Amino acid sequence: MRSWLARRLLLGIAQTAAVVLLVFALTEALPGDAAVALAGDQPDPERIAAIRESMGLDRPVHQRLLDWTGGLLHGDLGTSLASGRPVATYIADGFGPTLLLATLTMVLLVPLGTGLGVLAARHEGKPADRLVSSVTLGLYAVPEFALGVLLITVFAIRLGWLPPTAVGYGTDLLAHPAALVLPVLVLLSRPVCTLARLVRAGMIDALASPYVAQARRYGVPGARVRYTHALPNAVTPATQQLARTLDWLLSGVIVVEALFVIPGLGTVLINAVAERDLPVVQGLAVVFGALTVVLNIGADLVAHRFAPRTEVAA
Amino acid sequence: MTPAALELKSRTEKGGSGLVRAALIVGVPLLLALLGPLFAGEPGPRTASFGLGGGHWFGTDFVGRDVGRQVLLGGRSVVLVALAATALAYLVALPVGLISALTRRTWLEELLMRPLDVLLAVPSLLMILLVAAVLTPGPVGLAFLVALVNIPDAARIVRAAGAEAAARPAVEALRLQGETWWRTAVGYVGRSATRTLAADAGVRLTGVLYLVATAAFLGVGVEPDAADWAVMVDRNRTGLFVQPWAVVVPALLIVALTMGGNLLVDSALAHRKKRRHT
Repeated sequence: MRSWLARRLLLGIAQTAAVVLLVFALTEALPGDAAVALAGDQPDPERIAAIRESMGLDRPVHQRLLDWTGGLLHGDLGTSLASGRPVATYIADGFGPTLLLATLTMVLLVPLGTGLGVLAARHEGKPADRLVSSVTLGLYAVPEFALGVLLITVFAIRLGWLPPTAVGYGTDLLAHPAALVLPVLVLLSRPVCTLARLVRAGMIDALASPYVAQARRYGVPGARVRYTHALPNAVTPATQQLARTLDWLLSGVIVVEALFVIPGLGTVLINAVAERDLPVVQGLAVVFGALTVVLNIGADLVAHRFAPRTEVAA
Repeated sequence: MTPAALELKSRTEKGGSGLVRAALIVGVPLLLALLGPLFAGEPGPRTASFGLGGGHWFGTDFVGRDVGRQVLLGGRSVVLVALAATALAYLVALPVGLISALTRRTWLEELLMRPLDVLLAVPSLLMILLVAAVLTPGPVGLAFLVALVNIPDAARIVRAAGAEAAARPAVEALRLQGETWWRTAVGYVGRSATRTLAADAGVRLTGVLYLVATAAFLGVGVEPDAADWAVMVDRNRTGLFVQPWAVVVPALLIVALTMGGNLLVDSALAHRKKRRHT
């Protein structure tokens, strides 16, 4: 276990370093020079040269990389080109709403996905199972934005039950729970489907296994067989998919924030991309990338706890 | 017939009807995407934004264009970019995966696969947005980008499928016979892996479709006023209260395309698995 953990952490560190390098390489070394991109509609050479100098782009690449990574290690993410504010303040501003969305989704995801999976497995082949199975199969490939606008049209505009966007609520979303219902619902749509399908498959296998039959013969009550004997084995394949679910959640957050106009990290990122505010994009990409690496390690730890035989996935 | 055979028969039939239903769901948006541009006709004069009626079936969009015509034009880019991206991803993933499955030089395998493992750690959409911040990719650029983020996973699957086939005695025999690398790799290992790869390609295409549509919604790889279903959803959102058709019609088509595509792939795979068992 200890050597497994050490190898997994080492891979995580390598991945974080690689993400930092990749972000730098993509944004600095690509043919589209940041200064040219920033000069935008008036690409006159003097202006480009001025921007280049103010950004320090005239210095050699390796020196810029060293400065940037040195800053990152000290927690300095750089300053925005558009506003001159430190990138860290952008992240601090957007962190709250994103964290709220992600936490709510995760809290609801696990019981909802597992519950639907168990429900379908208990009624395998019956209408309940067919309904859950076909809905989860159909829904899980649907992009969040398409599902989201349809839900907004029905529940916010036709029926008027919920607000269509979070405009006007600022970052204090918790005070307006009605504005959170649709975003969380949309964010849940894809991960719930995968989780439910995996739990269903695992549960059907587990319920058909000899140890469950043996437990039943001993007269162990049905609910106990299901939840303490079959379920822990059934969720093993699901935990191994956790990492991919996290990847989806992250891209889901970006889309959902754009769709519902929620001022979180995703919105900050999209705005920075639109304004070509490279330091903000770089800073956010590093934060998102590092977060993914950390969450992946967490997901692998959970998966390893359930299935110790799995190797480091690389 | 035994009860088991009867059940199998009814299940196969059910699988068949699932296939038909899925094909119907995906058929409407797919036909519209591929053939729509042929029936779009000439652009009419622009009228008021977000108008209803006036000879427009679905009203007008945010710059006063006919929504019906935009819908006819707007599917092609989504479908073609997704197909191109899937093909491109395999164009790289196939040789990389096959070479690393067949090589006996560990350093070569490490050199090919390790960088891809690192790429796997970066969320797909983040990678696309990162590049979009520097370059302004067009549809071709978007196809390349989406292919790029799909290469690591595809290469891993090719390698896994190839490694399984490469470990068979048949490959050893081919080597002893002095067959060329090409014939062993493509003629035997590649062919044995086709089943797995066909299944993966179907699943991958639905994932790619998701990514292409989402990127277009976020404004990557498309003109801000492009005739594209995802762009239509994004740009016409402001008029959702007055003219919901401009958003609802393209959104429904995207839902039908992705949902139907996924159902189709799934029931095709289930169908084939069942046929193999009987």
